[in-house]
This record gives sequence, structure tokens and C-alpha cells, in this order.
Amino acid sequence: MDDRANTRRPPERTPERTIETVVARLGLTLAQPLGGRLIQPVLDLMISTLARRHPDAFERMAELGEADLLVDPSDLPAAFLLHVGQKPSLRVVERSTVATARVRGAFAALLDLFEGRIDGDALFFSRDLTIEGDTELVVGMRNALDGEDFDIAEDFGSLFGPLARLPLRRPLTSLAGVLGNLHEVLLAPALRRLEQVERRLGRLEEGKR
Amino acid sequence: MASFELICPAGTLAALRAAVDAGADSVYVGFRDETNARNFPGLNFSRKELAQGVAYAHARGKQVFVAINTYPTAGNAGAWHRAVDDAADNGADAVILADLGLLDYAARSRPKLRLHLSVQASAANPEAIGLYRDAFGVRRVVLPRVLTINDIAKLTSEIDIDTEVFVFGGMCPMAEGRCSLSSYATGRSPNRNGVCSPASHVRYETRGSKLVSRLGAFTINTFDEEEPAGYPTLCKGRFTTHDKASYLFEEPTSLNALHLLPDLKAAGVKALKIEGRQRGKAYIAEVVSACRLALDRFDRGLPYDATVLDRVTEGGKDTAGAYGRAWR
Ligand code: SF4
Repeated sequence: MDDRANTRRPPERTPERTIETVVARLGLTLAQPLGGRLIQPVLDLMISTLARRHPDAFERMAELGEADLLVDPSDLPAAFLLHVGQKPSLRVVERSTVATARVRGAFAALLDLFEGRIDGDALFFSRDLTIEGDTELVVGMRNALDGEDFDIAEDFGSLFGPLARLPLRRPLTSLAGVLGNLHEVLLAPALRRLEQVERRLGRLEEGKR
Repeated sequence: MASFELICPAGTLAALRAAVDAGADSVYVGFRDETNARNFPGLNFSRKELAQGVAYAHARGKQVFVAINTYPTAGNAGAWHRAVDDAADNGADAVILADLGLLDYAARSRPKLRLHLSVQASAANPEAIGLYRDAFGVRRVVLPRVLTINDIAKLTSEIDIDTEVFVFGGMCPMAEGRCSLSSYATGRSPNRNGVCSPASHVRYETRGSKLVSRLGAFTINTFDEEEPAGYPTLCKGRFTTHDKASYLFEEPTSLNALHLLPDLKAAGVKALKIEGRQRGKAYIAEVVSACRLALDRFDRGLPYDATVLDRVTEGGKDTAGAYGRAWR
């Protein structure tokens, strides 16, 4: 038997994903004190847009029955609760929320998984993805999503109306490339400041209780 | 002419397109029910999706096979018969069957449909394979993964239908169709329900820095923090005997026989199969294109990298399986 063991390798992260992670982190941090009021309409719009553009995937998800999947990005200040079934919904929740199953990993990896750009099993084997709870739900969700070609830029581009038609993708990608290369230098201090803000907000929250 | 036909898995239409685009010669799929051995939640094809998949593949000169390779329950073969009829009506190039009764049904009711014998039938000698050929007109046999290269060469020389063997993917180290481990632990088996160690019975638990995988009432494995994990397939569990934990049957590895292409060609093998209809399209695209590249380079007499797929293997390890096994 050939038992060459591989060393674990973190999945590669594109500059676009780095920016998406920072934007999501910023958005969640700023929106959290307002509860769901600011962010919920956006999430509702995202779900209805996806359901309209990918009816087959949503049909498969509905077949999984009524269940809650906690999507827990380890590098964001909060988690998302995806309800699957007849009326799918997405909410921002605390990561301690009880759900039928939970998937935890870096936000970029979760986005890659959503778009089918990365092999979920390999992520799990390499321990970059953690699964808890009802494994059947997680496997069913993965298969339902993987059967479709989701593309965040394409799917949500339409939400920006005429703006989406502007030829922005190229310059944004190059900007992301530059930022990606410089991200250690440029983004690290910003991320540290964000963490400080998160900690302060956390203390304020605790004070309220 | 190419040395081998490359047969690739797809659990969804997106994966089928990925396989065709990455260089599959043929793609094998199953319907979304218990008539096939990858009956996983949310996976597999509706009839409409099969028709779309066949159209996509045929437009690019590729073929689609439909696996209907579980065993019908007694007196309840309707779903299996419908699967054969619908595969034929939707343009499948072959069906992959294991059950004698179903082979009989397909041969009688769809005489033009090409029949392949599934690995699930575990046909491993010339007499058995000759019977399937004579009685039902079977044109190809997928050989069980328990044979060595020498066994395959001898068998192929003794039969006059095509042989297909697994070249890459998950390992099922027992004689296929005959394993009852999953039935014992969960009441559900690959042979009857189309799923081994089903996800409905799988639980992962984090205990401190360790990851524990469980199947039904059994702990199958405990992984240290830095250790690559594996799916809790029963035969790949780490069990304690005589106070020592070890992989009693098989390690959580993937089969990789790419380095054996010269031997498989010399053995007279016609087609190479990749396991993994349950895997995502990113995996399918990566594995199929790597195998395509290896096969093309092999055909041109060029060196090729047989280790290129190590990154996606289960447990981060691979094995040549029974092809080169020294049994413990
Ligand atoms: S337990 Fe292992 S040997 Fe048995 S059917 Fe499952 S994969 Fe195959």
C-alpha cells in the first residue's frame, strides 16, 4: 500500500474573495447594532433573486424538508441561518444559534463552495470545513447547490439595475488583484481595527444584558 | 487510437457538463431514487435532466450510461423496470445492471439497449461473465476491485467482451454487492438502498481538539487536530483490537491506479472508470482533466504525473488497492 500522507494545505484565496470577506465583515459589524432591520431586506432580496434564477436548485432544497442550516463563517462576526423547505429564508444570527446542522469554515471557502468552485469533500478531509448535526441535510444542500451554476457576480449583478451594465468587472478585478497582493500590508491594520470595534460592540452588548 | 475509454461519474447535470468539458469519453449517471448505488440526498438525475444530459453529451460526440445497479426488492421491481425503460427512451447509450432478473427484463423488453454488467454483480471468473454474455447479451463487464493486475490480465484473455476497471476514486475493498457492514450498522445497504454508511446515520462531533465520526451507534474514527479526516465508511474505520487502534480493513484512502496504465493496457483493459458520482463538479472537473491529460500523454509515449490528484484524495492518501495489494 502506498501511504504517502499529504500535508494539509489551506485552500487558495483569490483577491476577490478577500475583498468579499472584508466587505461582509464590515457590513455585519456595522449592521449588528441595528438588529436585522438594515440587513434583512437585503437578505430577503438575495434569496428571492436566487429562487427566481435557480428554480431547480430550490426545488431540490424543498425536497430536503423543513430544516435550518447554520452557515458559520469562522472569520465573520456573526453566522447565517438558512431555512430550507417550502419557504426558504436567510437570517443573520449569533453563531451559538441551535440549528438542524452547522457548517463552519472561512467565508471565502463557503462562497467557493456555494459557487461550486471547490470540492467540499476535500475541504472536509483537510479539516478546513467542519460539519455538525444532521449530516444528511448538509450533504443534500451541497448536492442541491452543486447541481446549479451559481455565480455571485452574475446572480446579484441584476440587483444593481443599470449599474450592473457598467463595465466594472475588469477594473474591480484588477483592483482586487492589487489589493490582494498588498492585503497583508493594507488590510491587516484595517482588520485589526475591525476586531477592536467588534470587541467593543461585544462588550456593549454584554453590558445591555 | 486511444488506449482506453475514460468513463466519468456525474451526480448532477452541472457535473455531467463538467465531465464532458474536461475530457470524458462517457459519463455514467443514476436516477434520483434507490435504483442506483449512489442514492444520496439531493443527488442524481430526473428523467428530464437525463434527456438534457444526453443531448449535451451527444452534441459533443460523448456517451451517457445509466447505472441501475441495486437489487430490486422481492415482488417490487416496478421502479427498476421503469428506470430501464426511461433510460432507453431518453437516449442512454448503455445501462449498467447487476440483478439477473433486471438483466433479463432489459434484454427482453429493450433488445437494442446496450447492457453493461455493474461492478455490483461482482463477476470475477470467465464462466460467470460468459453466462451474462450468452443469456442477456452483456457487452461489457466492470470488474470488481478485489482483483490484482494479474487476475485482470488472465480474465480478460479468457473472455470476449470488454472489460472496464476503476482507475481513481473511493475504495470499496470487499467483493461488491456482498458486503453487509452497512446493513449491520444502519439497516441500509448499498445493494438494496443504494447507499453505504448513509449520511442519515452519520454524525461528526468535536471533542476538544479531536474530531469524532460516528455511524449509527458506532464510533468509526477519531482524528487528531492536524490529521486529515475521512467519511465514516464502516470498512475504513479505526477500531481498537488488543488495545491498539488501527485501520482493520482499509485506510481512508482513495484508489489511484494511474501509475499502472502500462500494466492495464497490457492486461487488455478497454475502459477506465472514475468513481465518485456523489462528489461535486469542481472535483469532477479536476479529476477528469487530470486523468485525460495522463491518458493523452501515455498514448503519445510521454511521461505523465500519476500523483497529480493526491490533493483531492480521501485522507490525503492514495493506494493502488487490490491491483498491487500484499494482503495482511
Ligand atoms: S462498508 Fe466498505 S466494503 Fe462494504 S460496501 Fe461499504 S465501502 Fe464497500
